[in-house]
This record gives sequence, C-alpha cells and structure tokens, in this order.
Amino acid sequence: MNFLRLFARNLREGPYTEAFPFAPAPTAKRFRGKIEFDAETCEGCRLCERVCPAGAIKMERTAEGMTFDCWHDTCVFCGNCEFHCPTKSIHQTADWHLAHRQEDKYRMVEHGLIPFQVCTECGSKGLATAPAAGSANPPLTAEEFQHVKSLCPKCRGKFMRARKTKAKA
Amino acid sequence: MSVIERLKTMATKSPWIYRINAGSCNGCDVEMATCALIPRYDVERLGCQYCGSPRHADIVLISGPLTRRVLDATLRVFDEIPDPKVTVAVGVCPISGGIFRESYAVLAPIDQYFPVDVNVPGCPPRPQAIIEGIAQAVQIWRERL
Repeated sequence: MNFLRLFARNLREGPYTEAFPFAPAPTAKRFRGKIEFDAETCEGCRLCERVCPAGAIKMERTAEGMTFDCWHDTCVFCGNCEFHCPTKSIHQTADWHLAHRQEDKYRMVEHGLIPFQVCTECGSKGLATAPAAGSANPPLTAEEFQHVKSLCPKCRGKFMRARKTKAKA
Repeated sequence: MSVIERLKTMATKSPWIYRINAGSCNGCDVEMATCALIPRYDVERLGCQYCGSPRHADIVLISGPLTRRVLDATLRVFDEIPDPKVTVAVGVCPISGGIFRESYAVLAPIDQYFPVDVNVPGCPPRPQAIIEGIAQAVQIWRERL
C-alpha cells in the first residue's frame, strides 16, 4: 500500500524538481559562497592571505594604503580566512551566483582598501586599520576604539601601555 | 520563414551537452552528473541532454585543471565537436587552476588552449550554479547558430 501513499503525496505536493533557472533556488543559511570583505573592521594582520590554500587573497601596500583582493575564480570556498580572521571582517555569504562570461573573468574580484591616515597625536602617516585589541582588559569602549583607530602604530602602543598600567593601579 | 530558419529555431531548442574531464578530481563531474540524473535539478528541462559522442555535442563542459598528460587527448576530442560549439569551464580548476595553480603538472588556465565562453567557479560548483552556466551557454549558442 506504500505506493498509494506515495501517489497521494505526489499528487498533493507536485513535482519534486526545483524550478531553478526560472525561480530562485533554496539555499542553506550557512552555505559557503562568495567571500565578502569589510575594510572598516580589518586589523591588517594579513592572516587570511597566509592561510588561503588557493592563493586567492592578496593584500598589498600601495600609495593609497593596503589593498585587499580576493579573486572568486580561484577561491575554493574552504572558509579558512573566515575561521582565522580575528575581527571577523571576512565572511562567506550564501551567494553562489558566480557563473559569468569569459570577458568578465578578471572582474570577479572582491576589492577592499584600508587607506592611510594622519595620526591625531603625532601627525605621522599610518594605516587606518581597526585596533588589534582583542585581548585588552577591560575591553575597549566604543569611544576608546575610535580614538585608538585614529592613531599611528607607535601612539597606539603608547596608549595601550598607559591604559594597562592604569588598569593595574 | 525559409526552411533553414525553421530548422534553426527547431535546433536551438535542444543543445546537447558533452563533458570532458581534463584531469579533474571528479568532484565537478559528480555535480555535472547530478544536474541530469537527479529529478531535483533536471537539466533536461532546458532541452539539454548528455550525449556519449563528441560529434553530437553542441555545448561542451570541461572540468579539471588540464594536466599535461591529458592535453593531447583533450584537444583531439575537442576538435571532434562540430562548430558552432560553446565551451563552459566548470569549477575553479579550469578557470584559474584553483589549488593546483602554478603546479608543474597542470596547464591551467585552460583558456590558453580552448576558446572558453562561460566560467562557472566553485569547488565544486553546486548543481544550480552549473545549470545557471548552461543557461548562459544556451544563450550564447543561440546567438552563434
């Protein structure tokens, strides 16, 4: 009698085939698709570049700052970069619509730029990366975070050391 | 409508697909087979059908990073496919080399040897992505015919 049950179910639910090219396809929430990069929260540690097995990620110092480029055509969607990123500024979206014509091959790039800025304390030039303060105790407040972000690496070190001694005292 | 035009409209309804494995790990091949064999994806709705002989093919799917050893065989099979044909590179390996890039044993990217028209990146691309690529290839094929 099993086939009758199957028959009834198929009548009720219709064809099993996804209507994909003519309608959106169901995608899992945690699907590992296209890489997305957020330059605002990046620390500039370049760990993603190091752990990328396919060499898809390239970070380079240019005249404007540090550039981030991820070429989707060589990315294997392993998720190593997301796993190792200390600030979670790289993440994988559920977007898998990557099929493209040959002329767009070298345009399939996720680009980001961490620009240079002038330090608000000493006036020297430094990258506007997010401060690497994951282990700061007590954690940085939003105000402090913005202040540290506007400093150059040397002034950042000074600020964090001063803060540490203040917290101990 | 002349006879030739009528034949053209009839022919563009059903491009046949041929698949070349140029040293692939079989991941992409499994996904390509899944496109046709599983009713859930069913690429045959687009009129496409996998064929066993390159001489019957209209769209050719190439997977794999093109190892040095298969280059000659792949080129010979590719030449058997009658023009106009549309080439689809499936997976990141034929497009850029993927994780095999810069190896001495592979000749990726394959666009140095084959006139690629559509790229479907992914490792492997999901069946829907391959269907998306095939849909683009069908459009190109209609322009060419």
